[in-house]
Amino acid sequence: MFELFTAMLKEEWRVHSTMFGSLSFALFPFMIFGIAFMGAFLVPLMRTTLPAGNLTLIIHANYLMLGIMVGGFGLLGNEVMNRRFGQASLLAYSARSLPLSERFIFLNFVVKDTVYYFFLWVLPFGFGYIVASPFTGVSPASALLLLLTLTLAFLFGLCAVFFLSTVYARSRTVLGLVLLALGVGWGSLAIITGTNPVLFFPPLLLNSAFSYTNLLISCAVLGLLFAVAVLLFNPESVGSAKIYRDSFAPLMNRFSFLPNPPLAAKDTIDLYRSGSMIGQTIFSFLLPLAVIWFFLSLLGPFLPPHGLLFIFAITTGVIASTMYTWVTMFDSFGPYACLPVAISTLITSKLTTFSVLQLIPAAFIAVVAILSGEAAYLVPAVVLGCSVSFYAVGVMAWLCGLSPNVLVYDVKVLFVYLILVGIVLSVFTAIAFTNPYYALSAVILAIPTWLLVQKAKVRWDAVDPAGF
Amino acid sequence: MTTIIEARDLSKTYGDVQAVNHVNLSVGKGALFGLLGPNGSGKTTMIKMLTGQTRPTGGTATVLGIDAVTDPVSVRGRVGIIPEQETPPSFLTAIEYLEFVAAVRKISDIETKADWWFEFLDFADKKNVLCKDLSRGTRQKLMFTQAFIHEPELALIDEPLINFDPIMQDLVKDYLAGYVKKGKTIFISTHILEVAEEICSGFAILHKGNLLHAGPVAELTSRGEHLPAFFLSLVRKDRHV
Repeated sequence: MFELFTAMLKEEWRVHSTMFGSLSFALFPFMIFGIAFMGAFLVPLMRTTLPAGNLTLIIHANYLMLGIMVGGFGLLGNEVMNRRFGQASLLAYSARSLPLSERFIFLNFVVKDTVYYFFLWVLPFGFGYIVASPFTGVSPASALLLLLTLTLAFLFGLCAVFFLSTVYARSRTVLGLVLLALGVGWGSLAIITGTNPVLFFPPLLLNSAFSYTNLLISCAVLGLLFAVAVLLFNPESVGSAKIYRDSFAPLMNRFSFLPNPPLAAKDTIDLYRSGSMIGQTIFSFLLPLAVIWFFLSLLGPFLPPHGLLFIFAITTGVIASTMYTWVTMFDSFGPYACLPVAISTLITSKLTTFSVLQLIPAAFIAVVAILSGEAAYLVPAVVLGCSVSFYAVGVMAWLCGLSPNVLVYDVKVLFVYLILVGIVLSVFTAIAFTNPYYALSAVILAIPTWLLVQKAKVRWDAVDPAGF
Repeated sequence: MTTIIEARDLSKTYGDVQAVNHVNLSVGKGALFGLLGPNGSGKTTMIKMLTGQTRPTGGTATVLGIDAVTDPVSVRGRVGIIPEQETPPSFLTAIEYLEFVAAVRKISDIETKADWWFEFLDFADKKNVLCKDLSRGTRQKLMFTQAFIHEPELALIDEPLINFDPIMQDLVKDYLAGYVKKGKTIFISTHILEVAEEICSGFAILHKGNLLHAGPVAELTSRGEHLPAFFLSLVRKDRHV
């Protein structure tokens, strides 16, 4: 177990370091540390407008969401992992050449990914906060406790989605029943206690009042979810030759109004047949946003009128921009290398598919606006969310080309991404808070988006296709 | 004779590794040209540079009169390519992949053409199976089909017979020989020397990125030499240099 695990860790390191250099990858956790360290100095200032409990809530929500977004391991089959890393021969799908079961290799893969994310994101953030504690009036003990509860929040998100995604891979009906049961339980808890069930989130409870009993219960729940998920994992069967009806030609005709209809038809088939269109929508979009909605709703009293809807629209926009990773994760440049297709054409095609997928966040924001009784601001909220999403994807395409999943761990890339997206988010949050209808001005983001996409095409046409 | 492929001082380095070192090479129209070399000699890199899949670090490459460095998409539009590893898109079926290729290359009447190839390479029963579920041999048949379905003036093939059974190898060798008789050109890279001697009209030997020899096969056989022995003596000599 340990040899395979350490070999996978080395492999993960080399996948990234061969792409953009060892130093750029090694500096990634240092940047997260720096952000947390500097951010800790803002805590005393933020406390003047936001109670400490709510700040803790926001940070835990972010780590829960990080766990949720990376936890969809159950959706991974050999083929997706292969496509995700091009033609590199990864240990994760070498079961047939090693005397090891696919489930065992998969278990190592999941543990390796969890450890990697912990060292890349969770630990540097908590450590930054701990190091800053002597200067910010926060006791080292509470900083250490925060590191523990953030780790638990991350693991709760990861294990819950890992469990749900493996259930989904087994049976969509069973997943529906599980989600229904969770929804009923959630609603009952809210009715019986009269409070937002988010306040019963174990890491939050632990953070407000530490007890070893709660810690043990949390660990037991995490262990149970993880173990059941591993047992339920269904390795992709190899050699089963299912027959499919020809969907390509009809789909291409339907997409004739789009640029590059054959590429759009191929992307759609990839998403549909891999099960990702529904799976990713549930686990990488709807679930994180539903969670974030419950957390954000606790901040209502501290935000300007209608502020909650617009904060939510912006958050939806940022998460919706990650749909670009859905449409790029199945493709290496390999299948196109023998065809007259430029990388710029592929970027255009991926962005076209991405644009079609933006109907999902647009509809989602509209539904939330109506359900929250803010239908009057439906249009500005949708415009703001979609504009942010398109702008963020423009930045992503410019910085990462067709490899956002990998290049995001280049510290230079992430730094520039955070600056370019962060500034825009701050500006438009302030504008929307001033007057909800001013959010319509976000359409102006179409200009930098267009410029970024043009620059992306020129930039990525000038370099060799990504390889490992 | 019209020159179809022209490489001048073509070089490629990957970090500290010199994959291809100032190679000069010409291939004329109607040739079945074999690029030979041991593993890691730079054959695949040469094909990638000639088809614009990777940029050279030095020199020029002209294919069908088009600069492969500045206009790789036009080159790929005119030629057929079978890459080293068979990589048809996982979630398309075999027929859908050929429809995809036809749409990108703007080939008409794809159904008839595809059916001919399915019959010719004996994989009609796999036309509606996802590419990810095909055996390596069937994937290679599919890649072979996509490279020739538009009847290109030039086909560049990395290891043409890899993954094929002996019957299929025979069929493919005959097809390639017949294809060049129609005035088309084929550029293959291989380390199966017997095959190269049997089907190629011209050859070049690469070793450690350096071009050791280039010339017609007939010149060799007229001297009573055989390609495998010639290749081995040249490469062994170069190893000791």
